[in-house]
Amino acid sequence: MKIEFTLNGHPASVEAPADISLLHLLRDYIGLTGTKEGCGVGECGACSVLLDGQLVNSCLILAPQAGGREVVTIEGIRGADGGPNDLQQNFIDHGAVQCGYCIPGMVLAGEALLAKNLTPSRSDIREAIAGNLCRCTGYQQIVDAIEITAIDRRGEARKTEVTHG
Amino acid sequence: MAELKYVGKPARRVDALEKVLGTAKYAADYRLPGMLRARCLRSDLPHARIVRLDVTPALQVPGVKAAITGEDFVNHGNFGYPVQDMYMLAHEHVRYVGEAIAAVAAETEEALEAGLNAIICELEPLPGVFDPEEALKPDAPLVGQQPWDSPTEPRGNLLVKHIVRNGDPDPILAQSEVLLDEHYSTAHQEHAYIETEAALAVPWPDGNGVTVYSPSQSPFNDRGNLCRVLGLGVENVRVIQPPVGGAFGGKDDQIYQTTGQVAKLALLAGRPVQMTFSREESMIFSYKRNPMRVHIRIGADRSGKLRASKVNLVVDSGAYSAITPFVAWRGNIHAMGAYRYDACHVDTHVAYTNNGYTGAFRGFGNTETTACIEQAMDDLATRLDIDPIELRLMNCLRPGDETAHGQPLGDDVALVECLERVRRVSDWDRKRREYGAANQKSSVGAPVRRGIGVACCFHGISLGAEGADFAVSTMQVNDDHSITFTSGLTDYGPGSRTVFTLIAAEVLGLKPERFHMHRPDTDTAIASGPTVASRATVMGGNAMRITAERLNSLLHHAAADLFGCSLVQVLRDGELFIGPQEEPVSFEDVVNHAREMGLMLSAHGRWDAPSIHWSMEDGTGKPYFAYHYGAQVAEVTVDTGTGKVDVTGIWAAHNTGTVIFPQGILGQIYGGITQGLGYALMERVDFDQGYLQATNFDEYLIPTAVDVPDIDGHCVEKYFSPGPFGAKNIAEPAMVPTAPAIVNAIFHATGRRIPDLPANLERVLIGHDLRQQGSDRACKLGLKHA
Repeated sequence: MKIEFTLNGHPASVEAPADISLLHLLRDYIGLTGTKEGCGVGECGACSVLLDGQLVNSCLILAPQAGGREVVTIEGIRGADGGPNDLQQNFIDHGAVQCGYCIPGMVLAGEALLAKNLTPSRSDIREAIAGNLCRCTGYQQIVDAIEITAIDRRGEARKTEVTHG
Repeated sequence: MAELKYVGKPARRVDALEKVLGTAKYAADYRLPGMLRARCLRSDLPHARIVRLDVTPALQVPGVKAAITGEDFVNHGNFGYPVQDMYMLAHEHVRYVGEAIAAVAAETEEALEAGLNAIICELEPLPGVFDPEEALKPDAPLVGQQPWDSPTEPRGNLLVKHIVRNGDPDPILAQSEVLLDEHYSTAHQEHAYIETEAALAVPWPDGNGVTVYSPSQSPFNDRGNLCRVLGLGVENVRVIQPPVGGAFGGKDDQIYQTTGQVAKLALLAGRPVQMTFSREESMIFSYKRNPMRVHIRIGADRSGKLRASKVNLVVDSGAYSAITPFVAWRGNIHAMGAYRYDACHVDTHVAYTNNGYTGAFRGFGNTETTACIEQAMDDLATRLDIDPIELRLMNCLRPGDETAHGQPLGDDVALVECLERVRRVSDWDRKRREYGAANQKSSVGAPVRRGIGVACCFHGISLGAEGADFAVSTMQVNDDHSITFTSGLTDYGPGSRTVFTLIAAEVLGLKPERFHMHRPDTDTAIASGPTVASRATVMGGNAMRITAERLNSLLHHAAADLFGCSLVQVLRDGELFIGPQEEPVSFEDVVNHAREMGLMLSAHGRWDAPSIHWSMEDGTGKPYFAYHYGAQVAEVTVDTGTGKVDVTGIWAAHNTGTVIFPQGILGQIYGGITQGLGYALMERVDFDQGYLQATNFDEYLIPTAVDVPDIDGHCVEKYFSPGPFGAKNIAEPAMVPTAPAIVNAIFHATGRRIPDLPANLERVLIGHDLRQQGSDRACKLGLKHA
């Protein structure tokens, strides 16, 4: 069947079987391999993507369920210059990356949180990434990176308010 | 020592960018034209004879391009180190559930499945043995393997025996004022790297060789095995390591099998072949951390002075040896802990069983034995009514002491500093007193109790007696004035690429941005032994330092020639070279001049570890050239109504020597502690009649972000003269003291010792496991839908 949706801000139209997962569609029919498979049963979060802004495990979503909706993968998270955005840069700057396999999912979990809450406590951040397993980092520097991004974005938000106010 | 410019200064990981962007390509991410997918037929019996095996029907299935058994390899695909007891695909017998029997490569998933189903495979069940102590009894069913040290002499299921002998502890124990005599045990642990295994083999267009993209930790071991089983020379096999999604000791032996399978299939099919794994298949077929049963006897004076120790270890190797003989050896060496004794004996027996198989996992035997000896020290402290940190300070190894093996130690020992640091930063004295008093008072009334516990460790640096211990690097200046280097040691996450970069930048006085480490590749790097045992910083770092020093001396020769001065007159100011006329010349100009001189701007360097000697027969010697020391304090709350344990604080101090990459070393401490927290409280792989009971993260739980507190990590930077810039190792020891610190904190909170890891809900609540009927269901389902 033909599956049509918005992928990282651009229209996408893919011919694929109806019974495959969104993860499978992204990796094997579209070739976006930044989204990883870690467990296939929705436990590890390595396959996290944003579906209409919500953080979901793409291994649990059937590809046709994405039809007409907006999907954002790690390849869609970029700064204005096409490089890392502020959250990704903070992951780099604060040592949040080791093997890197969970990191696309972690970045998306961070974005999903920050879209709703720019004043998260460290425990809010831990709750927000609790569905994303990381075996390398012990999470601490990932929490640091998200926390610092929230602080920076609050600053940006205030600046914007002042400018427009 | 001159002020350091890059070593120990804030730095970022050199390979983080591609990982945050999602552009890093791991082995499962490659897509090549004509690429086939492959999978194995695996045993669903724990022990059986292969009566009939025929893959020719699979070859009749449309879309199947190759199908193999062990007979397609040289010498049945036999490999393994230190014991050659494994096969690329099962030979005559299967010895664990999940063992690969045959492999198929096909164009589509449907053809692959049909091909696997078409294979004729008849298995005749054999009696299995599922308990290591039972396995060592004379009438136990035989797993059918030979012992390590005498391959021709049948010796039941005993894989190997190790000992430590120093004096005679028996008479001392008999006369001790206080005798501790306790049993402890640890469980199988799953590595749970988030990236499951994968490999891609690409046959060469001329048909003479194969390139394998493999996430094994040790590409040269991988190549060695491939050459052996494929019958090819090293010039015809190239192994490249893509980014690796975590390893922790767990990506060696089973990856060698996987690469052997895809390489053979690719050579037969003449097309690229990729094999990937579901989490279930990965958990079923891969090796685990060794479970150990530990019997500890310690004799002490009433004052708290330790006199003698005697430790017995029984280790379950499972169906194959993998690296377990050395895991058990390291456990054997560290089993008595980082303490002084007048006499010490250790006896370690390693048994083959049909419980999957075991091998390397962060800490490599020391994580297991430290979990036990550090609980024993806590129990002893309770009996002596001495504060657990005080008891450790009274007896722990100090500069100039002898270890329990009789090895004299140097001045790098910093265990006292580590213990005192965690005591201070955790506010130990106050909490120990206040929580202890509160727990004494509360009986039924207070369901939630607090506790604080400590553990410490030593950890032999690098391989010790496990093998030739050296590392090699190469480096060259390129046309664009960038510098590329190789190391025979790889970085599967811990950050050694960045450590090497900072060391090279420091030695050469050049910006880290100039340096790029080649992807580990057996065609460009030089073999340096396996990437294990937290070797990268000390071994690979020293090789890098030597290599960079040689390149630096070439550059200084060129600069002296350019200035027309002697070598000693060449000064440096960052990247600038300054001659006697005080005219600064750029690095680029020096490089260009070197080229005009005909100088080759490349170098290589090798570093050999200081010598050690250990007699396996006598159990005496110097097992490692030096040790890392560390101490951790954990604080918990225990809900005695539910058994739920929350770890509310962890303070860690590690004798890291000079810190090279601060952000990286903290990442190792936090990550190691988090694995230790899982090991303490929740992680447990159960086998029932050889069948794994948990095959995915829904049942095998590892710590999430909410299970871990913010950790307070400290580095005790006592200069370690053999290390590069004075650095020691960190990756493994970061995990070693965590589990005992946590279970000691639970003991402090509840007054009840849980001697068997993990201290899960039911053990904390009722003191033992709830009896559960095991089944073969998860395994059979997992293999079916692999």
